Amino acid sequence: MKRRDWVGYAFIAPWLIGFLLFTAGPFLASIYFSFTRYNVVTPPVWVGTANYEALFQQDPLFWKSLGVTFRYALVAVPLGVVIAVILALFLNLNIKGIAVYRTIFFLPSIVPTVATSMIFLWILNPQIGLINGLLRSFGIIGPAWLADPNWAPWTLVFMALWGVGGSMVIYLAGLKDIPTYLYEAAILDGASAYRRMRLITLPLLTPVIFFNVVMGCIGAFQTFTQAFILTQGGPEDSTQFYALYLFNRAWRYGDMGYASAMAWILFAIVAVVTSRLFRSQKRWVHYGN
Amino acid sequence: MAINGPKVKSVFIGIAAIALIGFIFKPKPPVQNYPNREKVRFWHMWSGEWKDVIDKIVVRFNQSQDKYELVALSIPSGASTKFLMGVAGGNPPDVMAQWEQVIPTWAESGLIQDLQPLMTPEEYAMFDREAYPLVKKIGMYKGKLYGVTTGINISGIYYRPDFFRAAGIDPDHFPKTLEEIDAIAPKLDVWDKDKQLKRIGWLSPNWTSLAPAFGGGFYDWKAGKLTLDRPENIRALEYMVNSRKRLGFDRMVRFQSGYGSDFGAAWSFIGGAQAIQMDGMWRIEQIGKYAPTLPYRVIAMPPPKGGVPLSGSTGGNFMIIPTGAKNPKGAAAFLKFWSGIDNPERAAEFYTWGGWLPLYPRVTNSRIYQAYLKKYPQYKPMLAMMGSEHVDPSPPVIIQQFLMDKINQKQDLALRGVVTPAQAVKDLTRDVNEELARRRKLGYAE
Repeated sequence: MKRRDWVGYAFIAPWLIGFLLFTAGPFLASIYFSFTRYNVVTPPVWVGTANYEALFQQDPLFWKSLGVTFRYALVAVPLGVVIAVILALFLNLNIKGIAVYRTIFFLPSIVPTVATSMIFLWILNPQIGLINGLLRSFGIIGPAWLADPNWAPWTLVFMALWGVGGSMVIYLAGLKDIPTYLYEAAILDGASAYRRMRLITLPLLTPVIFFNVVMGCIGAFQTFTQAFILTQGGPEDSTQFYALYLFNRAWRYGDMGYASAMAWILFAIVAVVTSRLFRSQKRWVHYGN
Repeated sequence: MAINGPKVKSVFIGIAAIALIGFIFKPKPPVQNYPNREKVRFWHMWSGEWKDVIDKIVVRFNQSQDKYELVALSIPSGASTKFLMGVAGGNPPDVMAQWEQVIPTWAESGLIQDLQPLMTPEEYAMFDREAYPLVKKIGMYKGKLYGVTTGINISGIYYRPDFFRAAGIDPDHFPKTLEEIDAIAPKLDVWDKDKQLKRIGWLSPNWTSLAPAFGGGFYDWKAGKLTLDRPENIRALEYMVNSRKRLGFDRMVRFQSGYGSDFGAAWSFIGGAQAIQMDGMWRIEQIGKYAPTLPYRVIAMPPPKGGVPLSGSTGGNFMIIPTGAKNPKGAAAFLKFWSGIDNPERAAEFYTWGGWLPLYPRVTNSRIYQAYLKKYPQYKPMLAMMGSEHVDPSPPVIIQQFLMDKINQKQDLALRGVVTPAQAVKDLTRDVNEELARRRKLGYAE
């Protein structure tokens, strides 16, 4: 290696060391822990595939939490994409004060999830909450939201949309990248606004949509904070997300080996979903060139 | 003199940079007020006004010492996780106040110490002889003392005589059975014109409190084994479900969601949200502080017809010392100081500050505590329950947290009408047995 290379490595060494110690090390160690009986404090004891067998054969809550998480991902990710794209299209208009509107829509995404959750806890309170108060003024008795197993999961989806401003900004950047001459040519050819959006905007936005779908899926499979703060998995396990169940197994019941096995199953699921998405991009993602 | 823009900007940036450096490198306040003493690190989970009480006790301990200094840290949430990380990292506290379901799991994992070796034989003999039976039930696991319960939690029935009178019920003759309470409850409920609740007359306590009153319970303390699938437990849950039917689950959940904070004067009972309510003894001090003119009375929960009087569930604040504690002797000194092993009068003062129930009759009988009881005679029904054999803490089993979570889950499902009480008990037994079987297969201790 040349001296220049060493200097380069020296510059990235702080990150590299941090990554190896605090990410790669625990990541690899958890593979081993998933085959052990381990409570963090006493040395792990090898149990072979017993944790995996118990998960697949003896743990109904494992399957239930997987179902809750998949259902959430299937709804929250596409809905997030649609709403973020629509918002980005509106905020791409050349109107007075657009920077202010963009800031307003972006702001919720930088509020910490814990703070957002606490605000929603009040907004969605069935008795004294803002939404049910508004509904009551129209003579409607609103749902019990987070206390109702039929509403609780969708309430969390609704909360996730609150933070859609982050991906909206990425879509906005993607829209700015679309060459204007394409629209000019389409207008000359007599294309309507709808056709311009369908045949130019959306196809050329697909790389950004693809990126957000991948990131959204990974995020959805790891949903934890809202459920941890707002519902603790209830009512009736309707918001028992996989990551929440994993956390409880690890820290509430002190079963780190079992939780490690759960973490690796989640990793495998996310890897499969992500690779499927990458495979599918040939069919629907257009890179302009 | 003309001031140019770039100059102003440079001065501003310079001041900001100096302020930032000052902020980052500002001297930290000393952790210890007595640097020559041995440090004893104390973690607890109290916050708000409770933390103030703890801080006062810590100050008293430090004033009494010339050897140790107790340094307290309040961790209101995630304390157990932080404790585990502290132990795993070789840097646990010396002593921790807990009230979560941790003793069996942590004792079995070797995370916490047997406290007997930290006491003199005389001290331990005194503890064994004098401590209320509940104190030992909470703190002992497999015959060893892992937690000293510095404060026992006992619940009683709080009721509002003014609401009774308004409903035409004599408050001097409180019902003698749970069924009799159910009979008067509809008169105490208040509804608005939209059929929404404005006040709940009576809401039965939770399953763990009711089961012993029906002659059941989830653990046989003599045989040392779980007793989940008992007809008495089913009957207790059936009572709970039937007693709440008049309210409707949805309407009850909505109404309760509006209770808001539990602290200070915001507690729902003070606000008049319930006419009869089961709650812990710490509320007496709370009412005394925040609503001293509130008309209320406290009695022990009446049993069901033919049931067991003076029964219910209990918990407590207990002190544990981790295995890797650097100063276990200092930690033990604090435990003895708080619990009043050597000076019951001093300890009695702490119990009056926090509204806690003492762990020894000698503290209860102290001059200071007796004066406190004169001020607040409402504690007497709770003290009567302290000597009862039918007040049970959580079963001391290795899966204690899992078990309590499952009991609460099945209770919720039964109340929502998703399963019948009989099915709930059956499902509870199945879930617990499956968990035990899974742990057995993995080689965990029974």
